[in-house]
Amino acid sequence: MMETKIKTDMEKDLNKKKKRGLTRTQRQKILNIIIPLIVVAVIFLVLSLTYAFFQVPEGFPQILIFGSTHGAVVSLLAIGLSLVYGVGGVMNLAHGGFYLMAGYIFYWTVVTFSLNFFLGIIIVLISISLIGGASYLLLIKPLMNSPIGVLMVTFAIAYFFQALILLIVQVSHPLLMDPLIPGSIEILGVSFGAQNILIIILSLSIVLGVSIFINKTKLGKSIRAVAQDKEAAMLAGINANRILMYVVMISALLAGVAAILNVPKEYISPYVGWGILIESFAVVVLGGLGNLPGSVVGSFILGYATSICNYLIDPSFAALIPGIVIVITLILRPQGLFGKEEID
Amino acid sequence: MSKIKELFKRSDLVDKPLSRLKYWSKQFKGSLTLLCLLGLFSFPLLTQNPYYLGIFINAAIFSVFAASWNFLAGFTGQVSFGHAIFLGMGGYFTAALIRYLNFPWFVSLLIGGVVALGMALVIGIICLRLRGPYLALATMALGVFLMSLFNNEILGDATDWLFFGSQGIDRVPPISSNSVVVFYTYLIIMLVSVIIMILIGRSNFGTVLKSIRDDDTGAEASGINITKYKVIAFMISGFFAGMAGGLFSMLTRNVAPAFFQPLYSFYAIIMTTIGGLGLISGSVLGAFVFFGLEWLLSDLWDPVFLFSIILIIIIRFAEEGLLRPALEHLKDLWDLLIGK
Repeated sequence: MMETKIKTDMEKDLNKKKKRGLTRTQRQKILNIIIPLIVVAVIFLVLSLTYAFFQVPEGFPQILIFGSTHGAVVSLLAIGLSLVYGVGGVMNLAHGGFYLMAGYIFYWTVVTFSLNFFLGIIIVLISISLIGGASYLLLIKPLMNSPIGVLMVTFAIAYFFQALILLIVQVSHPLLMDPLIPGSIEILGVSFGAQNILIIILSLSIVLGVSIFINKTKLGKSIRAVAQDKEAAMLAGINANRILMYVVMISALLAGVAAILNVPKEYISPYVGWGILIESFAVVVLGGLGNLPGSVVGSFILGYATSICNYLIDPSFAALIPGIVIVITLILRPQGLFGKEEID
Repeated sequence: MSKIKELFKRSDLVDKPLSRLKYWSKQFKGSLTLLCLLGLFSFPLLTQNPYYLGIFINAAIFSVFAASWNFLAGFTGQVSFGHAIFLGMGGYFTAALIRYLNFPWFVSLLIGGVVALGMALVIGIICLRLRGPYLALATMALGVFLMSLFNNEILGDATDWLFFGSQGIDRVPPISSNSVVVFYTYLIIMLVSVIIMILIGRSNFGTVLKSIRDDDTGAEASGINITKYKVIAFMISGFFAGMAGGLFSMLTRNVAPAFFQPLYSFYAIIMTTIGGLGLISGSVLGAFVFFGLEWLLSDLWDPVFLFSIILIIIIRFAEEGLLRPALEHLKDLWDLLIGK
């Protein structure tokens, strides 16, 4: 009697699961991909509707395009920062330093030594991931058991990069480069540099590539395992230290890609790393520490906010936005937009 | 039983501060401290050149600043990468009060410190209730935020009584035109601040802070409201950092948005690391070593480059700092000299 009851209960459960079709984790995965897309779409829609109904044509296409470009570049930086924090618990203050180094290496190879453009890109990517790996192996890994030590050493690395650049270039004025691709495109009656479109497409495909890499490949699986539970992952035979080294290298690589895309659009100067770091911080806090989809959404929000400020208020206030975003997020929703963890 | 009696014997030292001081001055630590103080106080006998005195005055200001950073990081284990926020806040308030409202300098200094304390209360309540590196993150971002806020020309033009623009406040009156008087004033303020911080560290309050640093879960389990204690520690730290900012503004006679730059926070971290984390007197030593090295080597190297390398090497290979091992070696020498 009892057994049959249990059996029927189990069957019911099974049936329920079948009815649902998907397991909880599968749904979670799908939601993780869909929610960010929906949010970006909603922002896009709201902006377009404001454009359509209120007729604020002045500056609107610029806000849209430059906001998307900025958001796309920041998303590359932010997912690197978020990844390192999520996997290793390391808040990497040298992330802006990686961007700085990559930007200057790119400038030197392409402009100073006038090498081939693609050769320059390859040199930048290889050297920046080596720099990232070396700084992990030499400085971060030995200090992993002291949280203060890790924070302080990454801060010192950031200053070391900045001082090294200052020592080499001697001047601190901004350096400019030619755009990635010449020519311009007309959108909504305003012409833009064609590189903006290239930056958006490339960044988004790289972000997509990273998420596929983390969700599908074997190395990505081990990265997720270490992020969930380091000890259990090590018991299962994963070399957590090596995984963390790969993650720091990937994060540096993404910072390098961001530099390659962004430096020709803007400029490079020795003090540029701090602004980049603060922006990535704001995005990572907004999206939730260690939450990759949240970081992507957060960077687009920050990008639009910055370009709205640039065109509707004044460009000199744009530097204030990351600080405002961090403070508002920490007051209203400290776990971030998509964070679920209890952090109180 | 005899051991207990011995314990009680020492307790009479507590009742008689003078005999306690006498006892302390005969110990290794006490005599070394007194010797250093004697050296510092007799420095103007050696030279009255404002340039050399200025190095020492700078070192005294940054001793307070670095010690306040050390108070937070060394005792509670919370790292702030934007301690320059308080330097700037204290600096701006002190300078504005002296320059525009003609307050006496020590009142403005205290008000500057209290404003920094209030700022620390707000930041602390927002960040310190959360677990994770939020304080490090938010202080760093806020430092850059305040720097661009005070640098903003539009705000500076619109509200010149509040933000002062990128030029900041100039012609802040100094404490005295005589650099020897300034030297002694700053030295005494530094000593008082540092002694207060050391005493707080040794009190029950300091013990609670150290317990939070070593094991916050354990501290919480034994009934300590860790958020409250962390916020109070952050406020004390902010107060002294704000005072340092006021002192700095009176020395440079100018407050600019650069007071908020992360570089000053970096300096505090270097000084503390040279001296040793969790050792307030270490920060003082670190500040003097820092300015000495900067004076010696600034012609050869960029100081930031040099000190970032020094910082990386010290954190990597000697996390305890330099003061503690150096003191141990000195103590061996002392024991040898007095024939123990």
